[in-house]
Amino acid sequence: MKKNDLILVGGILLLALAAYVGISWYSAVSTKEAEAVVVVDGKEQGRYPLHQDATVEIRVEGGGYNHLEIREGAADIVGASCPDKLCVKQRPVDKQGESLVCLPNRVVVEIENGQEAGVDGTTH
Amino acid sequence: MKKRVRMAGVLAALAVLVGGMAWYFSKGKLERYEMTFLDVFDTVASITGYAESEEEFARQAGLLHAELKRYHEMFDIYHTYEGEDNIKAINDAAGKEAVKVDAEVIDLLKLGQEMYGKTGGKVNIAYGSVLAVWHEYREAGILDPQDAQVPPAKLLKERAGHTDISKMVIDEEAGTVFLEDPQMRLDVGSIGKGFAVQRAAEYAKELGMGHVLFCIGGNVCAVGGKADGTPWKVGIEDPGLGVQGGYVQTVGITGQSLVTSGDYQRYYEVGGKRYCHIIDPDTGMPAGDFLSVTVLSEDSGAADALSTALFCMGYEEGLAVVEGMGGVEALWVMEDGGIRCSSGFKADEEK
Repeated sequence: MKKNDLILVGGILLLALAAYVGISWYSAVSTKEAEAVVVVDGKEQGRYPLHQDATVEIRVEGGGYNHLEIREGAADIVGASCPDKLCVKQRPVDKQGESLVCLPNRVVVEIENGQEAGVDGTTH
Repeated sequence: MKKRVRMAGVLAALAVLVGGMAWYFSKGKLERYEMTFLDVFDTVASITGYAESEEEFARQAGLLHAELKRYHEMFDIYHTYEGEDNIKAINDAAGKEAVKVDAEVIDLLKLGQEMYGKTGGKVNIAYGSVLAVWHEYREAGILDPQDAQVPPAKLLKERAGHTDISKMVIDEEAGTVFLEDPQMRLDVGSIGKGFAVQRAAEYAKELGMGHVLFCIGGNVCAVGGKADGTPWKVGIEDPGLGVQGGYVQTVGITGQSLVTSGDYQRYYEVGGKRYCHIIDPDTGMPAGDFLSVTVLSEDSGAADALSTALFCMGYEEGLAVVEGMGGVEALWVMEDGGIRCSSGFKADEEK
C-alpha cells in the first residue's frame, strides 16, 4: 500500500469513529421527555408529560374511574371508584418503568423515559 | 492494472473493517424489557428480562406468562376451568371422593405439608374454611365500610374445628387428593404464588433466559443477575414509616427470591381498627405484631410460606425458626418502625 492509501484508510476510519461518537452523544442527550402513559385493559389511552401539572380523569367501562394527578414531575392516583383503593395508597411515581396499578379497573399508569429507577423491583 | 488491484485491496480491507465494527457493536446487544400482566394471582405481575429485540422478549415473556396463568388456574379456589381439576375441585369433593389432579398440584400440597411441619403449623393450607369467613367479611367491609363487621367468634371457632391438615390424603400413585373432613377446605394462598413463580423461573432457565426478574405482587424472584453481571436491586417497600426514597432497605439478589408479607395494603377496618388479610391459625384472628416481614431464600415457594408464617409468630420465635433452617434470612419491620434482621441478612450498603 502506498502512503496515500494509508491516509485514505486512516481518514475513513477517523470519520467512522467521529460519526459513531457523534451518534452516541446525540442519542444520549436527546432522550425523550418523561411521560405518564395511561393504559386501560391493555389499550393505551393517553400520554401526559411529567413536567406539566395536570389532572386526568381516567374513565373505564362500566362507569368506573381513576383520578390521575401529575404534580411536581410525578404521577399519582388521588381518587378511584374501586373498592380496595390500593391504587390510591400507592405513592407517586416518576422513575423509568415505575407504575401505578388499579387491578379492579384494569388501569396501569406507567412512566416512560423517566430517570433510571433506583431499584429493579419491589416487594411489599 | 496494478492500481486497480491495489484499490480493490483497500476497498476489501475497508469493507472487512466496517463490517467488523458493525458486527462488534451490534452483536448480542441485549436490550432490557419489562412486561406487566394483571390476570395472574389477583395481583400485578411483571417480568423483566433481556432480549435482542422487543418481539423476542414479548415471545419469551408470553411463554412465562402462560405458565403463570396455568398455575393460577390450577391453584384457584374460587373458579372452575375447562379441562382440568384444580384445588377448587378438591374442595368441592371434600368428604365425598378423591379427585385426580395434575402432578404439580400434588407437589404444591406436599410443599404445604412440609411447611406446616417446619413452621409449627403457622402455615396451614387446610385452613381454608376459616379464611373463607374472613374473606367474605373483608370483601363486604371494603365494599360497605359503614357496615363493616368482624366475623362472630362462634363461627370462627366452629370453622377452626375443620382445619386438620392430616385429613388431607394424598395418593401419589393414583395422583389423587381426598379431604376426609367434608367441612374442610384448602386455601393455598400462602404458598401457591411462590411455588408458581419458582416453577416459572425454572422454565425461564429451560428457555435459555439467564437474566430474569419476576415481580408478582410481593414476591420477587430472580433468575441469575442482571445482564451486566450485577445483582438485581430489590427494594423492600416502606410499610408506612415515611422513609425517604420509599424503601426500608434494598437488597441485591442473584438467583434468589425475596418475599414480603405485610398488613399495610390488604386490610379492612371495623370501628377504626385494622384487620389484615393474614390470619394466625392459632388464634383465628389477623396477625399483626409487625408492619412487614421479608424473607430471602433460594426457593420462592419456601420464602412465600415462611414470610406468612413469620408474620404470625413473635420475633424471637421467628428468628429461631429462620436461624434453624439454613439458607434462609429474614428482615422484620417492627410495629414501632424498628428493623431487625437475621444474622446472615445482607442488605445493600447504601440505601
